[in-house]
Formats: sequence, C-alpha cells, structure tokens
Amino acid sequence: MPRWGMVIDLDKCTACQSCTVACRVENNVPIAGQRDSSNGRAIFWNEVIPVIEGDGTHLKGRFIPRPCMHCENPPCVQVCPVGATFKDAEGIVRQDYQRCIGCRYCTVACPYGARYFNWRAPEFAESHASYRNPDAPARPRPVGVVEKCTFCVQRIERARRRVAAEGRELRDGDVVPACVQTCPGRARFFGDLDDKHSQVSRLARSPRALRFLEDLGTRPQVIYLMEG
Amino acid sequence: MAMAKALIFRETIHRLERIGLGYVLLLLGLVGLVGWGASSYLSQQWTRGLWVTGMNTPAYWGIYIVNFVLFIGLSAGGILVAALVHAVGIERFRPVARIAEILAISCLVLATVFIMLDLGRPERFFHLLLYGRMSSPLVWDVIVINVYLAISMALGYFSTRADLIHCMRELPRRRWLYRMLSLGYTDLSPQALERDHRILRTLAFAAIPAAIGLHSVTAWIFGLVKARPGWHSALIAPLFVVSAIVSGLALVIVAVVVSRRAFRLPIADHVVKDLGLLLAFLIPVLGYFLFAELLTVVYAREPAPLAVFREMMVGSYAPIFWFNLLLGLLLPLLVLMNPPRRVVLAGSAVATGVVAIAVTRFEIPLAGLLPFLPTQVALGIPPTAIVAVFWAFGLALPLLLLVSPKGLTPARIGIAAALVVLGVVAERTNIVLPPLLERLMPYPAGPGYFPTLVEISIVVGTYALGVLAFAFLAKLFPLVELSHEEREAA
Repeated sequence: MPRWGMVIDLDKCTACQSCTVACRVENNVPIAGQRDSSNGRAIFWNEVIPVIEGDGTHLKGRFIPRPCMHCENPPCVQVCPVGATFKDAEGIVRQDYQRCIGCRYCTVACPYGARYFNWRAPEFAESHASYRNPDAPARPRPVGVVEKCTFCVQRIERARRRVAAEGRELRDGDVVPACVQTCPGRARFFGDLDDKHSQVSRLARSPRALRFLEDLGTRPQVIYLMEG
Repeated sequence: MAMAKALIFRETIHRLERIGLGYVLLLLGLVGLVGWGASSYLSQQWTRGLWVTGMNTPAYWGIYIVNFVLFIGLSAGGILVAALVHAVGIERFRPVARIAEILAISCLVLATVFIMLDLGRPERFFHLLLYGRMSSPLVWDVIVINVYLAISMALGYFSTRADLIHCMRELPRRRWLYRMLSLGYTDLSPQALERDHRILRTLAFAAIPAAIGLHSVTAWIFGLVKARPGWHSALIAPLFVVSAIVSGLALVIVAVVVSRRAFRLPIADHVVKDLGLLLAFLIPVLGYFLFAELLTVVYAREPAPLAVFREMMVGSYAPIFWFNLLLGLLLPLLVLMNPPRRVVLAGSAVATGVVAIAVTRFEIPLAGLLPFLPTQVALGIPPTAIVAVFWAFGLALPLLLLVSPKGLTPARIGIAAALVVLGVVAERTNIVLPPLLERLMPYPAGPGYFPTLVEISIVVGTYALGVLAFAFLAKLFPLVELSHEEREAA
C-alpha cells in the first residue's frame, strides 16, 4: 500500500500558476468571478501564495504553491463531527461530500488554509461544458459542503486500472496529478513516500527539505525544498 | 397577613388570564420580527446557501457562531440561580428561580437554533446523530447540550408542577392545559411535595457539573484548535465558565427587572438588589480571567497570538474590545457599587491623569483606543485632552447619571446588568472572530468580515423568537414560584 506524498522544489517554481489552472480544470473547481473572488469566496484546491518579505529597501518576493498537505496527523479529520473528512488507506485526506454538514470546523482547524467551503452552488460557463472532467471523484461539489485537494485521486484510480491491464505493479511515476503534469519548471514530484527508492522519498531526505508548520505536529506529506 | 398572602396568590394566578392590549401588541411585534427573520432565511439562505451571509475564506464563522456561544453562556444564569435555591437553599432567590430556569431552557434552545442556522447543509443535521465521531469537540457539545437541556427541563418541571396544579384548580377554563403540562402528576400531598423537593435538590446538584461541562466543552470547540493562536489556550475553558455565569446572571437580572414591571410580579426590590450585588462580586472575577489571558499573550510576545490581540486591542476590533472592558465590565461594576457623586468626580479625575500619563509614557496608539475619532490625533489635539474627553464622556458621565444618592434602584441594576450582557456579546464577538482572520500561512489579508442584512435579520428574528417564548410562558404559568405560605393561606 503506497503512502502518497508530494515534493515541491521552490527553487524551480516560477510562480506561473499553471498548477492552479490545471488543478481547477482537472477537478472541476468553479471559477468564482471577480465579485466573489474579492469577497473571499474563491476556491483554490491549489493556490500559489505570494509572500513579500523585507522592509522596503530590501524586498524579496517568494511564492509558495500550496496544495493540501495531506497531513499524517490531520487536525481537520480530528475535528470533523460526522466523519465526512477522513484519511484513506493510502494516506490521502479525503472528503465525503454526501456526509458533510457544512459546519466548517475543518476549515477553521486546518493550519494551512487548504480547505474551502462552497459558499454557493458551483457554476460553469457554457463554453467550458466540453472541458469538464467526467470522472466521478471530480464531479462538481454541491453548495454548502467543504472541498479540497485530493492528490487527483481519480488519476490514481486510472493509473491502477492501466497497470492492471498491462499486468504489472504500480511503479514510481505511474501516478501523475494534474499540477505535477503541467508544471513547466518541473518543480513538483509525486509518489510513494514509503518506497525508499522513489523520487519523492529521495527528495524528502534532501537537506533543503522542509515541512510547513512542523511544530504543530501535523506531519504534512507535502514536502518543500527551500530556495538554496 | 394570611389574607394578604392569599390575595397575592389569587391575584398572581388570575392575572395569567388577563391579556392586555400592550401584551397583544408585543406579541404581534415579536411575531412580525420572527416572520421577517424566517422569511429572510427561507427566501435567501435556504435557497442560495451561505453565500448570502458576510462569511468568507478565512472568516469561516460569523455572528451565528458568536450567538451560539453567547446563548450557551447565557443559559448559565438559570443553573446558577437554581443551584443557589434548590441545592444550597438560599430562599431569598426563590422568587426569581423560575424566570432563571425559563431563561436557561430558552437560551439553550436558541443556541441550537443558531448552530443549525450556521450549517451549510442544515437538512443533514441528523448526520451528527448517525455518524457522530467522538474525536470532535462539536460532538461532545451535542451530547452535553442534551444532557444539560434534560436536566434543565426536569428542574423546570419539578419546580413548576405544584403551581400548575394550583392553576388548574383556580382557572377552570385552562384545566386541560395544566393537566397536560403537569403530565398527569397532580398529587399535592405533603409527601409528594417533599419528594419533588428531594428530586429538585438532586437535579440542582447534578446541574452544577453539567453546567461546568457545557461551558468547558463549548470553549474547547475553540481552545483545542491549534491552528488558531487566539483560541489555543488552556485558560479558555475556565474563562468561558466565568463569563457564562456573569452573562447568565446579568440576563436573569434584566429579565427580572423587566418582567416584574411588565407582568406585575411579586418580586421585592431587595431580591433584585441582592442579585445585583452577586453580579458585582462576579464581574471582577471575569476581569481577572481576561487580564490573565491578555498578560500572558502580551508579555510572551509570540507573534501569532500577539497579532490576534493587536487586532483586538488596537486594530479593527478595538471598539468591541474597549466596549467590553470599559462599558461592559467597569461601568456596570461602578454602577453596582453606587459610589457618591463626589467620589465619581474625584475618581475620574485621578483616572484621567493616570491614563493620560500612561498614554504619553508608553505611546499607546490612541487612534486604536478611540476608533470613532481617529482623525483627532491627526489634527494635533494633545493625547491628554482626548483621554480626558474619553473618560469624562465615556465613563464618568454615564456613571454620574446612573449613581443615585437614594441607593441602588432596580432600574439602575437592570441597566448595569444589560450593559454586562452587551459586554459579553462584545467579548464573544472578539473571542470568535479575530482569531479567524489571523492565519499561520502567509496568505494575503482577506476581505474581513461584516454581517449582511440577511444575517442580521435572521439573528434579530431568532432573538425575537426567544423573547416571544418568554412572553408566551409568562401568561402560561406564574413566573414566580408561589411560596409555601401563600399556598397555605389560599
């Protein structure tokens, strides 16, 4: 059983936002529009956070691409009163949209801000109709529930079906989430953290490796390689 | 003497059937407000989702949760008074015990209404019962609210039963109603009353740990969240217990002062005064808890909690914070102490001086302290002048109007208690909202939170529902427990 994890190399990230766009298309995340965006109602399964550091004379801009951290010890799962959010067998923090009551306790408890509430029913432009992803796990979520990054769980399923048809086991690199596939800087890596030889577990052992807000004990499965 | 008591007894019961024009108008007004709130909910929030509220990312929670916490806290007054009367046996508070118990039950019901209003999928609330998971403090709260509600209802039943039977005898037209309310248990023999008394005593004792549990668990919904530095404190549970008791008692006082006039209840002035003194005794305890929390954060200077408290004390939530401290705690305390006018004048002169020196010495940003007059500093008016005006008009002037050489009157105690309730509204707002806006990851600032008209309408409608329930119950059975002697005399 793999334990899925992601590595993001901040040295290679150019903050082009392709990951955000690819994620939005792959997972049918609705486009909020200007008014809802400025009112804080936009949903970002993946978001590139701009960070300006410095004091006016020495400014430095940094960018942090932020998917869900899929914590080993997720505070959101702990606080969910109905078990609508859970950790699946492969370490992915998933959301049951049919069970969620919309109390938003998980959004409050997530230190990373990776969870989003559907403030309104999702709307898609007519012109986007043919681009919608028909995969079941990516179906648009109803109003009033919480949603978040799933590490493109539908792609994991698809990869499993493909390797089964080819009569072999999953190999490192078989599963490629949309954000990883699209990244022009090749800054993102995805794979099994329990496999000592996978690219992600090798990179996770790098001296540049860092997990955000580690002192909270959440043990994220998204590992960042800091700028050198 | 016996004649007089019997008269009070009959009068109190027969007044239940007399429904005046004022009462009808009050009911109509309240029904209108409830209808307004309900129609806002059904036509807006139910159909379009929480989009119609002012909540957003990261202000995931708004005034619904503030009111949920507030009403859980307000329910404490009932248990405090019930415990004092039924468990400890302080007879002088017996006349207000029933009002307190009614408030406890209605506040709890309103709190659950507010949590329902906050759900994104209210039609799935039963998932809490079907799939409830014990790791969530929200599930603990569901359990403890129900336990507490059951105890409060049982308390209410056993302390009202005897009066219901008397009403049944005195008011033949409503016989069926009282028979129903008394659940058919119409025995008034001394043995039955003695048994009621014993049950009440047990229930009142059981209610004390249940109440501490209720307020602690409600606090832990917040305090156990490590992602929110403003909440993540071990002190939050005891703080919630204390502010629940203070706000609950204050609400009991307000309800007593208003309803003894409105429904001409036989509650003596000295009962109100004693409740006021009890409140005056408890306010400093709450102040102490707030100070302990504040000092720990400000002294330690950990960036994340400090940022929350900065937002609270000198940022956009400063008006609410200073209202809570000055007009919600200090002013009512001073009013309840009822110092002579010259002491007020001398005291505020000294306070003005001390604060002016502190402001100049520690360069406290006055724009934050006086959010309604931020331009004053820009205009070059010296800080000391602003401080003087602030103390004189903000605190000394209302205090001078409220202290009376004749001593504390029930009306003044009612005003002080109402200020305490408003202060706790402010406190709850500042506990829930500012920590949501402070994020641990370096996100750009969000749009902030301000409730929309829809949200406010729904909240006002829910308040009206609570007052309506109280007004309705006031004509259903006597709001004052008829004393043993009164019954005997009759």
